[in-house]
Amino acid sequence: MGFLPSRWAGPPSNRTGNPERSVQRRGWSRTVVFFGLLAALFLLAVACSTGQQSTWEAVGPVAEKQLQLFNVLLWVMVAVFVAVEGALLYTLIRYRRRPGQPRPPQIHGHLGLEITWTIIPTALVLGLGIWSVFTLFELDEPPDDGPEILHVNVTGHQWFFEFEYPDAGGGKRITTANELRIPVDRPVRLNLESDDVLHSFWVPKLAGKVDLIPTRTNHMWFQADRDKIDQELPATFFGQCAELCGIAHALMRFRVTVMDQVDFDSWVAAYGPPPAVTDRAKRGQQVFNVNCSLCHTITGPDDPGLAQSRLDGFLTGADVVPVPAPNLTDLRTRHTLAAGITELSVENLKAWIKNPEDIKPGNWMSEKAIIYQSGEINLSDDDVDAVIEYLLNLR
Amino acid sequence: MAAITDVLARPASYSGVWSWITTVDHKRIGILYGTTAFVFMLIAGIEAGVIRAQLVTPDNDLINPGRYNQMFTMHATVMIFMVIMPLSASFFNFVVPLAIGARDVAFPRLNALSYWIFLFGAILMHFSFIVDQVPDAGWFSYANLTEEPFSVNKGLDFWALGLLVLGTSSVAAALNFIVTIINLRAPGMTLMRMPVFVWMTLITSILLVLAFPVITVGLIELVLDRNFGTHFFIPAAGGDPILWQHLFWVFGHPEVYILILPPMGIVSEILPTFSKKPLFGYPFIIFSGIVIGMMGWAVWSHHMFTVGLGPVANSVFTITTMLIAVPTGVKIFNWMGTLWKGSIEFTTPMLFALGFITLFIIGGLSGVSHAVSPSDFQQQDTYYVVAHLHYVLFGGSIFGIFAGIYYWYPKITGKMLSEYWGKMTFWLMFIGMNVTFFPMHFLGMNGMPRRIYTYAEEFGWGDLNQLASVGYVIIFISILTFMWGVWQSRNSRPVSHDPWDAPGLEWSIASPPPAYNFAELPHVEGRDQYWITKQRAEEAGTPIREPEAPVDPSTIHMPSPSYWPIITAAGVGLIGGGILVHFGLSFAGGLITMIGVVGWANEPAAAPQEHH
Repeated sequence: MGFLPSRWAGPPSNRTGNPERSVQRRGWSRTVVFFGLLAALFLLAVACSTGQQSTWEAVGPVAEKQLQLFNVLLWVMVAVFVAVEGALLYTLIRYRRRPGQPRPPQIHGHLGLEITWTIIPTALVLGLGIWSVFTLFELDEPPDDGPEILHVNVTGHQWFFEFEYPDAGGGKRITTANELRIPVDRPVRLNLESDDVLHSFWVPKLAGKVDLIPTRTNHMWFQADRDKIDQELPATFFGQCAELCGIAHALMRFRVTVMDQVDFDSWVAAYGPPPAVTDRAKRGQQVFNVNCSLCHTITGPDDPGLAQSRLDGFLTGADVVPVPAPNLTDLRTRHTLAAGITELSVENLKAWIKNPEDIKPGNWMSEKAIIYQSGEINLSDDDVDAVIEYLLNLR
Repeated sequence: MAAITDVLARPASYSGVWSWITTVDHKRIGILYGTTAFVFMLIAGIEAGVIRAQLVTPDNDLINPGRYNQMFTMHATVMIFMVIMPLSASFFNFVVPLAIGARDVAFPRLNALSYWIFLFGAILMHFSFIVDQVPDAGWFSYANLTEEPFSVNKGLDFWALGLLVLGTSSVAAALNFIVTIINLRAPGMTLMRMPVFVWMTLITSILLVLAFPVITVGLIELVLDRNFGTHFFIPAAGGDPILWQHLFWVFGHPEVYILILPPMGIVSEILPTFSKKPLFGYPFIIFSGIVIGMMGWAVWSHHMFTVGLGPVANSVFTITTMLIAVPTGVKIFNWMGTLWKGSIEFTTPMLFALGFITLFIIGGLSGVSHAVSPSDFQQQDTYYVVAHLHYVLFGGSIFGIFAGIYYWYPKITGKMLSEYWGKMTFWLMFIGMNVTFFPMHFLGMNGMPRRIYTYAEEFGWGDLNQLASVGYVIIFISILTFMWGVWQSRNSRPVSHDPWDAPGLEWSIASPPPAYNFAELPHVEGRDQYWITKQRAEEAGTPIREPEAPVDPSTIHMPSPSYWPIITAAGVGLIGGGILVHFGLSFAGGLITMIGVVGWANEPAAAPQEHH
């Protein structure tokens, strides 16, 4: 065939490109094989389409409606693809040049066809467009006739997510980081802000993303439906920052834990500073207060004034300065470390405290905190162990 | 006095390095654009290779995250501003004057200036590698990651100043082509007889002239923020980072059409040639191009669906973006109408043109799926978008440009590129392109965000990333086979002036064309003039006229070479570079630019030996 390199499919003549070229029947099987391989690739990829952040596995109404729209689009796309590429392929095979063929009819156009292939796509895209508009307005705010809405303020920082519940239940205010706990079957409405640069909040299985932007407060909502979650509660869903926000953008991950209302309530009730029962924990508390508490709050929800002063310090760009950092009040109830990139364990926490740069390159802790200024941590192993015992409330 | 006239005299050499440095011949400038852009394509390709190598396995630590950010920033910036745009410009330069039956562009020295400014702007940006302060905030460089204290080195100054310099080059070239196309058409070539490629050049040039001022405003504000203490985009000081996004995308979306319309024009030239049929629905292809160009200004916020502009704004931009699919579809249907009942010959340029259509359909369809904003909330900033944009920019623009290279290469050099290696290149590139980018649709739907230098194994993205990296290797080989084909062509026999039996005026003259292009300006009686000429000769039974025998160039008045474009361009480059090093250099650059302009204005019209 003329469309293959000629050494494969025909006599090696005309390699300098004489346009008079012989056409042969051989070689169509290769085309079939090629498209067969493409199809196999497609199926393989579809089969692989699951995973922790798959948008195909919606567990709540928002992600579900977005997926619905995409699925309809997908079928429209597949139909148009097959029709148009099929017509193209048919045309190419049917009207390929044959030897000695006379000049084909010189057709310049056809008004009826032009009108047809303008109007049909216009109607199609307008239909889809209007449906999208309805979905947009429908998903803008949570329904106000359903269960009580849980409000959460999300603040993006380089490189972690801060979650503040103004009223987690019974008027209790909570500040935490990187792990958002929500009760099942209740709409959650997020206010999204950023302290430094742009970030984007995205939990694919719960909802599409919305950006966190300094100077403005965005909002979004989602809900996790018990009957769509195919695992026992508490169930964990994975999220990740989706807007380039600097060096550690790829490591700015977080999790959403969906719990029964009862479990959620008991987590809220238990929220508070680690009790520091043992002697070692008491020493850890002292070490923490001297070396860590300038940036990390551990005594309950963040104090707005203090948070602002940390931010102001950070924005000056000074070398050694307190900066915004995750609230550690409830660290002992969390599952992950360093914005969701490693599991929380004594060993991992120790490795993280001793050399954060190794685990999360670019993090501000090793850059700005006094104890890391010499290049390695200025705390003894004993002190680190004590701090860990305090933070995790080990006995 | 003699000394001064000597300095002001025009250079007279027509060969050697100096002849290239001082050339104002649109064909030579086209070749300069093309080869320079190809070198930058290799650079951007290596950057892409580093990206694919880093992502080939989960938790890879081949390069550090800072370096990774530099790689994707420079890959995109280089591909857009230093590869696709100048490659299109190289076709504008080489083909447009020939296709409209002109002897050069309207302002030949301005044309040379555009090229040299482009070169110096590109070199200025690449200096960032030498001092290892490489731009790292993405090709869109969203504020306020570009501001203190988040941006700590000079990388983004290189980026902003480099783009400002490149922008002057683009605007100057665009003005030149608008004037050329409006004023220098051969007698009888009405607007609706112009080849489609010339039309797309005209539309693209108008878009360039209107779009670049917008990004220029943004870039100047960014440079002022970073170097002179203003606060346009700094939130803590009352600035607005969203302002940058609007400025960027009001430029950025028309820019997308600046990248795709010229290759659409190339494809519209090639399909009729190898179907032996005139373009189907010529006026509809033209008007859909104009409509795309106009609607391109009304869709920019679809890049900002997740910014939180609210459902009203998102609705408007959803509808306008959906509608822009219509004129694009019209083009594709008309191309298929051109093929229908044709006599289709699968030469290499034709294969690339057909590859363009095939892949652009995929890119267009996935584009519709993120025009729908609720669905885009999931896709925005994921690999789904990476897949989409490479189907339109690689499958579209790059395939269209390669189609053009294979199509016009015999005209440019007088030699044919090997069809064997050409088809090899096509199939490798076509397969490699799909293997690289098709899996990315699924990566995106599986939740892989863009611009992440690493990912955990548990996410399950490893296999598809590996596949994509294999695809990169195939594309890499296809570029090698392309270069091998070009290298080989130096030995091939000279080819006739019209090897494809093509319809365009450029094929009626010798290959390579003489400096003056047309010894006698052609008279145009319809579209596809050279087909008309040939058919008339065939019907009359007379042999088709060979191109005129070469005439003595001195009998035709042609613009003489000039030193001043490169001197002026060096001054402009120095103004930009000076801001990075020392403001004194900027003043020196300004002085050189002024000297260049004065010398330019006072230059005698002809070389010393010539008398006209």
